[in-house]
Amino acid sequence: MGFTRRTALVALTALGIAGPALAGPQIDQPAPDFQATDASDRVRALADDRGRIVVLEWTSDACPYSHKHYDSGNMQRLQAKARRQGVVWFTVMTAPRTSAEYMTPPEVRAWKRKVGSHATAVLIDSDGRLARAYEAKTTPHMFVIDRDGRLVYMGGIDDRPFTDPKSLKGADNYVADALADLEAHRPIAHPVTRPYGCSVKYPPLS
Amino acid sequence: MMRWLAAMLAALAFCGAARAQAVDTGHLTAELVSQTQGIAPGQTVYVALRQKIQDGWHTYWRNAGDSGEATTLAWTLPAGWKAGAFVWPTPRRLPVGPLVNYGYEGEVLLPVPVIAAADARPGQTAVLTAKASFLVCKEICVPEDARLQIALPVTAAPAPPDPTWAAPIAKALAAAPRSAALTAAFARRGQAVALGIVGGPLKGADVRDAYFYPYDSTVIDHAKPQGLDRGPAGLTLTLVPGYAFQGGAQPKALAGVLAIDGKAYELTAAPGPLPAGAGGLGPPLPKAALGGSLSLLPAALFAFLGGLILNLMPCVFPVLAMKAASLAAHGGREQAQARRHGLAFGAGVLAAFLALAAALIALKAAGAAVGWGFQLQSPPVVAVLALLMTAVALNLSGVFEVGTSLQGAGSSLAARGGLAGDVFTGVLAVVVAAPCTAPFMGAAVGWALTQPPAAALAVFLALGLGFAAPFVAVTFVPGLLARLPRPGPWMEVFRRVLAFPMYAAAAWLVWVLTIQAGEAALARILAAAIVLAFAAWLLGLEQRRQAVAADGRRGALGLLGVALVAVATVAVISPPYGQGAARAQAAPRADLAGSSYSPEKLAALRADGKPVFVNYTAAWCVSCQVNDLVVLSTRPVAQAMKRDGFTYLKADWTRRDPAIAAELARFGRAGVPLYLVYGAGGAQPVILPAILTQGVVIHALDAGAAKAG
Repeated sequence: MGFTRRTALVALTALGIAGPALAGPQIDQPAPDFQATDASDRVRALADDRGRIVVLEWTSDACPYSHKHYDSGNMQRLQAKARRQGVVWFTVMTAPRTSAEYMTPPEVRAWKRKVGSHATAVLIDSDGRLARAYEAKTTPHMFVIDRDGRLVYMGGIDDRPFTDPKSLKGADNYVADALADLEAHRPIAHPVTRPYGCSVKYPPLS
Repeated sequence: MMRWLAAMLAALAFCGAARAQAVDTGHLTAELVSQTQGIAPGQTVYVALRQKIQDGWHTYWRNAGDSGEATTLAWTLPAGWKAGAFVWPTPRRLPVGPLVNYGYEGEVLLPVPVIAAADARPGQTAVLTAKASFLVCKEICVPEDARLQIALPVTAAPAPPDPTWAAPIAKALAAAPRSAALTAAFARRGQAVALGIVGGPLKGADVRDAYFYPYDSTVIDHAKPQGLDRGPAGLTLTLVPGYAFQGGAQPKALAGVLAIDGKAYELTAAPGPLPAGAGGLGPPLPKAALGGSLSLLPAALFAFLGGLILNLMPCVFPVLAMKAASLAAHGGREQAQARRHGLAFGAGVLAAFLALAAALIALKAAGAAVGWGFQLQSPPVVAVLALLMTAVALNLSGVFEVGTSLQGAGSSLAARGGLAGDVFTGVLAVVVAAPCTAPFMGAAVGWALTQPPAAALAVFLALGLGFAAPFVAVTFVPGLLARLPRPGPWMEVFRRVLAFPMYAAAAWLVWVLTIQAGEAALARILAAAIVLAFAAWLLGLEQRRQAVAADGRRGALGLLGVALVAVATVAVISPPYGQGAARAQAAPRADLAGSSYSPEKLAALRADGKPVFVNYTAAWCVSCQVNDLVVLSTRPVAQAMKRDGFTYLKADWTRRDPAIAAELARFGRAGVPLYLVYGAGGAQPVILPAILTQGVVIHALDAGAAKAG
């Protein structure tokens, strides 16, 4: 009995040590670097895009919140405008291969054509490493990285945490704001907002 | 006529009760249900949005957590009617991978107060319409809507309760978080945010599962565990800050629900210093690690084992050896007699244990922080025990006799002392056993004292049975009795030898008394002991005179002796003792530089992530003293402490100390010793066994230090 009690305590102690909060992404700090494979099997690294503004957009074709932005064309318009400014736009799909949400590279390419995405590439994050590095919580969850590789915005795409497409009308798009602030060399008005949407589907840790 | 017809139809349709239609939205069934069968003009009744959610799916609380969206209800009401906001039941934490959402599964009622228009006309039926919007999620999320209606008859007087829904809605309202007299504040602590909460409802609450559900989804990281530090007046939660704290920013308030001990309270914390008494006592232990996880049967079994082992403890052994010697005197000749004496001894043991248990339970109920060995925290008790030990030792030395002596033991058991003597031996054995805590006993007694009296008594009874078992067994098994050595002249020598452990026990109790009550007490107890010894000699003189004269008349010497015993006893009981230098006992021995324990000191060391060894001990605890001497104050242990960077804290329970009693209780103990090894990095402590070895301690120290890396 004494033994099991001690074992339990030791186990708990180990958990307690393993549990301290990892430093997540921090505003005005270097954005977590990553290497990920896109839908065309090309490896994309954040470091390769130093000198350019990078936007990360988490999405899921199974999520009504992402659908609100794609079905209405809102996301594609934002992507197109950003790309015209020279922004690198990575759409990220985090889902383990075993999940119903997972799409194979050909499926992702077909999806990209179908929705008319203007993203630079769609990154397939089936092992969840990218999501863990950025602590991505929702689809959509948006991150803006400046030319020096610093994280300048993270959070929701706008201030309307609803699925109803009508909620887009008059929404304050935080990503558009952040990109405009960067262009104008202004401080970012809302560097951190609450992300909203469906939960990112993390693969279980092996 | 038309109006009459409409009223008639309404009455038929609604049968005088509230009516609503449930809507299946795909992954849940939703409907509006009412607490009452109707509503009077101007009255407020609760209407609840009932969700019956498909297995595995969930909907969300007002703060959905890391993802998701709260359920909403948009009313369309007749003119003059009003509806309030949801009374949100306390949500559940719903982990989704590394994320955590707050929401509901299964069936949930979200009550809403509805106020009827003051000019609503009794006899009419009000149709209340609402559009409910849910985000229902499992792996995927589906937004679902339902257009819901409830028809409430307007009644002249408040309507009777709804037979189906009145009770569930009342239950939901009663269980909902309520406002309470809690004072709360929050402050940055390094990377974390500390939320300190104090107030009446927290006193005595089981804080183990305390959790703060914020209303705002940006103030904390929902998925991170909430660290818990208990305080005398409340608790402090260590939260991982959310987006609202990014870049040195800070929200104006932390508002939300504190779920604790099956209840929930609303609170709003302002930034600022934490309220006094919100922390410092360390985290509570998980249930599984506590004596509280025992149930009656194993606790009784441990108690029985502990009682068995107690026989071998240094404070008990001389008394029992003496008793066994008297049995040996009889060989196996008088079985029936031997049995009777064994049972009498057992009865004495049980009676003493039950009396002790009853006293403990009564004192506990009266709110005193007491535990096993508590009586030894009182200087008069220690002094009287010291005199008792002295008297027993003098008796063994042959200065005087009780009843007849071992010399006469060769004759017949019945001729000696009688059964009362055996009962007395049993009681004496328990009295002198109190300073010893045997292995297994600590957890069992600790558990017993947190249970209802019946269970506690059962555990003490098991302890007594275990304690009495070896002796009683000897009297019942002819084989064992026959194996005891044959009586002879050696017995007189044996008896004289056994006197010396008893003198040692008396000397030790004098030492305990000095620590408790200072040097003045030393003079007092020594004087009393000399008077007692003189009285014993007088009694012995009288006994020898009577043995020669055989006139059976009590002589003056005997009376004087008895009077002097009374004087000595009274002298050590009254007047009250002063304060001793109990803390001085913590002075380091040889290699072990230690310092005295305080909850604040422990909390501070742990907050710095330093490894700590805490020794809960008492001067009157023999097992503690043995462990101190044989293990803790040895060079290898001291070196291991130094090498592993441990701070050694000595929590001295020689005198009453509620803070130490509380700590012992937290670990499910009612007495000392208790050895805790807090590893580096603020981890939960490891409990060492009651009987230490150098290997066990050094291994635990090394393991505790290793965790830092």
